[in-house]
Amino acid sequence: MQTLISLLSVFISPWQFFKESVPSPRIEITLSKTEEESYDWQEFCLRPKQLSTLDILKSIFFNARWNESLFITDCAERLILDPTEYNKQEIVNRIKFELERRGLDLKMTPYLQFRLIFVTSHGTKLQGDILYVSKIEKIFGDQD
Amino acid sequence: MDFDAAIRLTEILLALAFVQQSVEHLYGPKAEQRLFLVRLILSILLLIGLSTQWICVVLFINGIFILKRFQGPYNGGSDRMSLLILSCLCLIHFMPTLYLKEFVFAYLALQVILSYWLSGFFKIINPEWWSGQVLKDLFCFSAFPASENLRSLADYPKILCLASWAVIVFELLFPLIVLSQEILVMGLFVSLVFHLANTYLLGFNRFLWVWLAAYPSLIWLQQYLMTNFSH
Repeated sequence: MQTLISLLSVFISPWQFFKESVPSPRIEITLSKTEEESYDWQEFCLRPKQLSTLDILKSIFFNARWNESLFITDCAERLILDPTEYNKQEIVNRIKFELERRGLDLKMTPYLQFRLIFVTSHGTKLQGDILYVSKIEKIFGDQD
Repeated sequence: MDFDAAIRLTEILLALAFVQQSVEHLYGPKAEQRLFLVRLILSILLLIGLSTQWICVVLFINGIFILKRFQGPYNGGSDRMSLLILSCLCLIHFMPTLYLKEFVFAYLALQVILSYWLSGFFKIINPEWWSGQVLKDLFCFSAFPASENLRSLADYPKILCLASWAVIVFELLFPLIVLSQEILVMGLFVSLVFHLANTYLLGFNRFLWVWLAAYPSLIWLQQYLMTNFSH
């Protein structure tokens, strides 16, 4: 059904890009040794500090990591509007994929929890609201 | 550009856009690699020009599987536009008369024009766009700036206000490209710069390739209208 709706939206797309300012999701994660322990939250972000001219030119042809980041953001927004297992699992899988890509040894901290903070501006101040906190789950080794 | 040349050019540009996307996914999680390996092979066949009508159909089926895999578009508007172009190509190949084929291609061109004009319309009715506030928020705290240092653009409200109006005016005036070849060339050049800027600022590289693939329909439509309705 979801696929059919997506397919229909292709033919009568509303084409509304950035029509208004909306709350934006931040993903924070915590990794721990056991299910009971929990450490500080840290932002999970695929955005580089800066891009060189060569990086920008390359990104025209190949921007896989950034497009993945946009998809995770989309999943986070969908998770709030439509809290399905699929959206949660996509976020977990991609966090795991990225952590492994960074060469992190997940044997040491196999338990992952993430939360979604939606940021909005109030005048000159930014405000973040925690709208979702996932259950702690084992992402490495045998699943409990 | 005659109708057949415009269709073939659309196929070539769409195939290139699909190759670009597929290569990116081959770098991603294993679960999605198989779908995009299939898309990559089909896109190369489309690029070469082998039985393009059937390749388009199989690519469309592959597109449905991809939609199902991600429970919607993976890359928002760019996936929607690429599937629209692909659907129109499929329909064009199997329409019985030239008139119906042209009708479908004109529908694609209309959607491309609407993709700019409607975006501009929804911006101009929002006072937050008039002041540049939406762009300020976009750079200040949204998930879209392609690098951290681009967030500092939020500190330049006058530039953002100017940029907001430039985007609104460009998008609202885009339909004028059908009026003459000179305006068409100018419009497509400005839109290319617009998409390159979006790639630099927001990392939207797929939009650049996909919208480029839809431009032959605009070139054809402009010529068609001039030839048939200029008197």
